[in-house]
Amino acid sequence: MISAIQTLNILLPILYGITFAVYLYDFVKDTRSMSDSKRIFLFLTLMIHIFYLLARTIEFDHTPITNKFEIFTLLAFSISFSYFVLELLTDVRGTGLFIILFSFIFQLISSLFIEDLFEVAEVLRNRLLGLHVVSSMLGYSGFTLAAVYGILYLMLYNEIKMNKFGLIFKRLPSLETLYKLCFYSVLIGFVLLTFGVVIGVIWLPSAFPNFSYSDPKLITTGIVWLIFGFIVAAKFIANWHGKIVVNIALFGYLVMILSIVFTIIFANSFHSFY
Amino acid sequence: MNLVGISINHKTAPIELREALHLSQDEIIDLIPKLKKDLFEDGFILSTCNRTEIFGTSKKSLLNHRELEEFIISHKPVKGIQPDHFTKYFSCAAVKHIFSVASGIDSLIIGDSQILGQLKDAFQKSEDMHFSGSIIKRVFDSAVRVGKRAIKETLIGEGAVTVSYAAVQVVEKVYSNLDKKSALIIGAGETGELAAIHLNDKGIGKISIANRTLEKAELLANKVHGEIIPFDQLKDHLYNFDIIISATSAPDLILTHDDIKSMMKKRKGNTCVIMDIAIPRDVDNKVSELPNVFYHDIDSLKIIVDQNMRKRKSEIPKVESIILEEMTNLFSWYNALDVVPTIKSVREFFDEIRSDELNKIKHKISKEDYEKLEDMTRRMMGRILHNPTIKLRELAESGTHTQEAVIHALILKELFNLEHGRNNGSPLYNDNNGDKFEEK
Repeated sequence: MISAIQTLNILLPILYGITFAVYLYDFVKDTRSMSDSKRIFLFLTLMIHIFYLLARTIEFDHTPITNKFEIFTLLAFSISFSYFVLELLTDVRGTGLFIILFSFIFQLISSLFIEDLFEVAEVLRNRLLGLHVVSSMLGYSGFTLAAVYGILYLMLYNEIKMNKFGLIFKRLPSLETLYKLCFYSVLIGFVLLTFGVVIGVIWLPSAFPNFSYSDPKLITTGIVWLIFGFIVAAKFIANWHGKIVVNIALFGYLVMILSIVFTIIFANSFHSFY
Repeated sequence: MNLVGISINHKTAPIELREALHLSQDEIIDLIPKLKKDLFEDGFILSTCNRTEIFGTSKKSLLNHRELEEFIISHKPVKGIQPDHFTKYFSCAAVKHIFSVASGIDSLIIGDSQILGQLKDAFQKSEDMHFSGSIIKRVFDSAVRVGKRAIKETLIGEGAVTVSYAAVQVVEKVYSNLDKKSALIIGAGETGELAAIHLNDKGIGKISIANRTLEKAELLANKVHGEIIPFDQLKDHLYNFDIIISATSAPDLILTHDDIKSMMKKRKGNTCVIMDIAIPRDVDNKVSELPNVFYHDIDSLKIIVDQNMRKRKSEIPKVESIILEEMTNLFSWYNALDVVPTIKSVREFFDEIRSDELNKIKHKISKEDYEKLEDMTRRMMGRILHNPTIKLRELAESGTHTQEAVIHALILKELFNLEHGRNNGSPLYNDNNGDKFEEK
């Protein structure tokens, strides 16, 4: 099993790289023949990635969330998986390369530095922690997709405004579609993050005697949750849409990245496992 | 192939001459019988706003194109027309030209798909008037195939190549579902009409027309199932529309920066696309600075048109290879036409021998034996003639050994005396008196 895991560890960044290249080729060349086959490439890569994650869980007897690089491979998978579901639901096929690029980078870093840990802290074997982390990761993946679609929205918005009718204009879907993809990614991300936060709030006080609500990771995650919650509320209550929603989503994503960096580098609390 | 033709088109003559020589349906109906009587076995006449063409298989072995030019000018006198305004085609070049026209690469707007329909109509007219023989029919089938393949296998017809259509293309880049959007067309002239039709074709939810002359607005509104907005109340209704296309011939601005600004306020910032396809412009171009307003004028839309034209031009080599492929197929069929009668004669010759010989023994053997013998001889003949038939057909269809195929066919005819009446293969002997008799 170990040798299979190690082989897949090498294979996965290559597969994400190939899938990215196929999506890039189709984006540039717009060949009709590639339109379906690129989806098959992504599907196969995701299937192999699922097998890899399951193999790690079984072999090392813990969910692959015990170190940064296991988190990275989980993030790579969840980003591409969320995109794959969106592509199937919306049949918008021209944006894949911008998303898969993230998966490729995360998987590459993970494959280069990941360690095979048999011995981990007992708390990291807890299934509730696994659920808490996986759903939070999927929530963050949703926000990553929202940010990518937001950037694409702004790029196309500016291209149309400035009368530039290049590759971005030709290949991307309409502004309205990009906005919808951005908002639905926010919505899905928000629901999953909420789920992750709720599990955390219920479980953490009982698992950690030194639990504190003033924990930096809790506070920064709370801020991120509030920003994306505001977007959802503004859409449903005040019918906000378009550029303003996209801008707030991008701001939220920036805050999310900064909060991750801040809590990893500067904050040291019961909530820091790595 | 004795296919000849002349063409006057946008490449050879100015619009005034093309217009003057344009043939109406009635004129074509009138011309075809005369053409059939004097010059052609079969053929067709194609006349559109950009071209008038006459093609057919000549009655004479070599038809002078000048006769064809004179024929058309005598029936439709046009002042100032010169022989140089006509392009002349014969055989291979004629087929190539017809295929190029069908594929749209010979059109003024490259990749124009309308021409294929016009060509089909021309052939249909020819067929209805019993003016299409086997060659013209085959050329027509191949031409239609070329046209369809060009659309399906290449990008020759892709992208907007008119300003009105480019405007709709930009609208589609802003909104995903046009069926939930409303559009206002200001100006019911030709450009406005085209834009309205394109939007209607794309399934726009609601369309309204505003025009100074109410009758023209009504006419267009009826055409696109739209509503009419009184021109003097135009500004009060602006905020209701997601798309505004302005194409009037007004000398001054119709919509100012302030008009659009107040409209956007009423729309609560909701996106609005404004297409100003009028010369001079109808809308103050400073509105492009307003957030969520996508303003485009003719110059910016021309960028899209030029890009698409370049792309279509780059597809021409692909279309040309389709034309070449279909020409090869057509001429293979045509070349095989020459050897088909020979093959048929040889087969009939052998069949007659077989029948004669079988008849001689028909009453000397039992019915069962006769049937067995009949079956056996049929198979034997089939096997004997299989190879020569295939070889001769292959030589002809290859198109590169036409001469060889003709020689082979001649030898066959000579050897079996097929040209000068057959003698059923019965060997002839001289009797003592020098008279010939058949062996019994």
